[in-house]
Amino acid sequence: MSLLKVSSSPHVRHEDTTRIIMSDVVIALIPSLIFGVYVFGLRALFLTLISVLTCVLSEAIYNKLMKKPSTVRDMSAVVSGILLAFNLPVTAPAWLPVIGGIFAMIIVKALFGGIGKNIMNPVLAARVFLFASWPSHMTRYSAPLESVNSFMIGAPDAVSSATTLTDLKNGIIPSVDLFDLILGKTAGCIGEVSSLLLLAGGLYLLVRRIITWHIPVSFIATVAVLTLAFAPDGVSNITFMLYELFSGGLILGAVFMATDYVTSPVTRGGRIIFGIGCGLMTVFIRFFGGYPEGVSFAILIMNLFVWYLDRAFKPTKFGGGRKNAKA
Amino acid sequence: MAFTFKGGLHPEENKITAKVPIEQMPEPSRVAIAMSQHIGVPSLPTVKKGDYVYKGQCIGKNDAGLSCPVHASVSGTVVGIEDRVNFMGQKTQYVIIENDYKGELDPSIAPFPKPLDEATLEEIVECVKNAGISGMGGATFPTHFKIAGARDRVDKLIVNCCECEPYITANHRLMLEKGDEIIGGAKIVMQALGLKACDIAVEDNKKDAIEHLKTRIADGDGIRVCTMKTKYPQGDERQLIYALDKIEIPTGKLPADVGRIVINAETSSAIYRAFTTGMPLIERIITVTGAVADPKNLRVPLGTSVSEIAEYCGGYTGEIEKIISGGPMMGQALWNEDTAVAKGTSSLIFMLKEEKKTLPEACIHCGKCVASCPMHLMPCYLALFTKNDDVESLKEFDVMSCVECGCCTYQCPGNVPIVQYIRAAKGKVKKSM
Repeated sequence: MSLLKVSSSPHVRHEDTTRIIMSDVVIALIPSLIFGVYVFGLRALFLTLISVLTCVLSEAIYNKLMKKPSTVRDMSAVVSGILLAFNLPVTAPAWLPVIGGIFAMIIVKALFGGIGKNIMNPVLAARVFLFASWPSHMTRYSAPLESVNSFMIGAPDAVSSATTLTDLKNGIIPSVDLFDLILGKTAGCIGEVSSLLLLAGGLYLLVRRIITWHIPVSFIATVAVLTLAFAPDGVSNITFMLYELFSGGLILGAVFMATDYVTSPVTRGGRIIFGIGCGLMTVFIRFFGGYPEGVSFAILIMNLFVWYLDRAFKPTKFGGGRKNAKA
Repeated sequence: MAFTFKGGLHPEENKITAKVPIEQMPEPSRVAIAMSQHIGVPSLPTVKKGDYVYKGQCIGKNDAGLSCPVHASVSGTVVGIEDRVNFMGQKTQYVIIENDYKGELDPSIAPFPKPLDEATLEEIVECVKNAGISGMGGATFPTHFKIAGARDRVDKLIVNCCECEPYITANHRLMLEKGDEIIGGAKIVMQALGLKACDIAVEDNKKDAIEHLKTRIADGDGIRVCTMKTKYPQGDERQLIYALDKIEIPTGKLPADVGRIVINAETSSAIYRAFTTGMPLIERIITVTGAVADPKNLRVPLGTSVSEIAEYCGGYTGEIEKIISGGPMMGQALWNEDTAVAKGTSSLIFMLKEEKKTLPEACIHCGKCVASCPMHLMPCYLALFTKNDDVESLKEFDVMSCVECGCCTYQCPGNVPIVQYIRAAKGKVKKSM
């Protein structure tokens, strides 16, 4: 008999690894991706593939150059790639996800120490970076079901269309049918339009216990309450609130971005406050800010509070608190 | 509704021997009895090489401090007293006895001389002490100290039959086959301490045992059988007391400080045997499972070697990489297969070599460890502070309250050996104080 292995307990492990968790997130995103291809054409898939490839290669090459163990197998770069593409309009030039992907993976993630160490959501930071650098590319939305040149490297021609957020910003109820909006037949970024399928993906993640309800629910509920309370004069409060909820990137942000493990708190209380903070910030920016959309900024700002929220909501240790009736 | 606590998790049970009746293992030709099979001061041998010993004869004791006598599990000749590595990896004195297979019992072995209701605390403590009983759930605290120390301080006995570790089924089988012994032992402890109440706590994955025990108690006994939610670490006495009575044992205190005494199922049965027959603790039930041809629940004479037990169970089914004494969550990996089983060996799990592709260690801050920590700590941060050598933060985040149950590490998707970091951290914190 060969030598026995002596290690300290526990001697068994749960099978869920980062790789399996991230693969589950990919599964949850696939319906929205398919829908994105349906409304925006094959170019949606083309941009997504470029984005995923860029993210995976950036991480692999960085690991190789820096002589770090390869983290590509954990699938997190694939998730980042899909989510980055989801945040682009289909009319974006094909080099935009390349720059965005490199920025996300190298500047925001790898330079901070790689997976688990970044302080901001890499995808959202990249989105804001692209938004600030190429505003015209990032805000030119084509109308749904209109064909654009699928495999062009530069920005394809398209009749640009306003998103519902612009109307809402001006205090009017958009002309898009609410049902179409929830289904996703509307102008917007590749992966953000179908609130219904994004929520279905979120439900899958909840059932698989990948995420907890705390952040999405507190985030969306905060936006709902505020938009209900502060709807402009002359429009129905409920209708205004529903349009606010299903417009722009709120559902994508609340379900898939704000719940990013690395950049969200670990306790239930912390997660609820985090979600409320995201909601408040989103509504403030939508109502008072210079941009029609505030979800990305809101989440990025709240990302910076994670450590403080974790510390503030540190659980009382067992045997250290109030419940010691007999002590 | 089953009793439960906050935190914990439900690992894959793998209780493959749940339906296998307890089988008596024949005595081996030689036993190696460790002088230290309990927490506290090791016993000192009272025999020397060449002595003849009876089965059940006391062969080691130590009257100074926290200790527990040890007895010969076979009759025969002492062929040596030597230092060997025990299952903890520490050097301990062992008395080696060559079996003569005569099975001659020590003539002093006799049942308790009085009926139970006339027995006093002192007499029962003496009886338990002479039988060399220490906690058989794994912690091996000398039971006579526990009972004596609970005097006038506790108002309820809890018999811990949770068996929350995966694989192990020894207590489950004991409840089904010798339920009366467990209940009898509980009554003895209740008599000793003048208790009116006793909870027998069983997890709800052992419904048959719950039903059986319920049929064995009478209304006037003051005993109730409590159904606990199947969740690890339900068998940790802190979680157990909290689940039953919603009382948290304050940090650094013991069950007696909150009015409870907790004993393990098999310990209770050992007390009953000592009281009714005078037999000391010389054998125990061990779940032998994992990569052996014929997994079993075995009643094994203490001092039998692991390799003999494996052979009795049909041998290994492949190349063994690890042998675990106790459960897979908190058990000890053994150094070699010649190790002799002792009072705390509840299970032997043989694990095959397996090639697994693992990811590099990286915490992704998912919070699973925080949600599953039964002590309500933040294990991911404790691991981080350990890496950063940040002793102040380790103290602030209560590292010393960790019970090393392993829930965090079991769950961690980022492959971080959190408990191992915490064990290192405890050393650092102790040094800094």
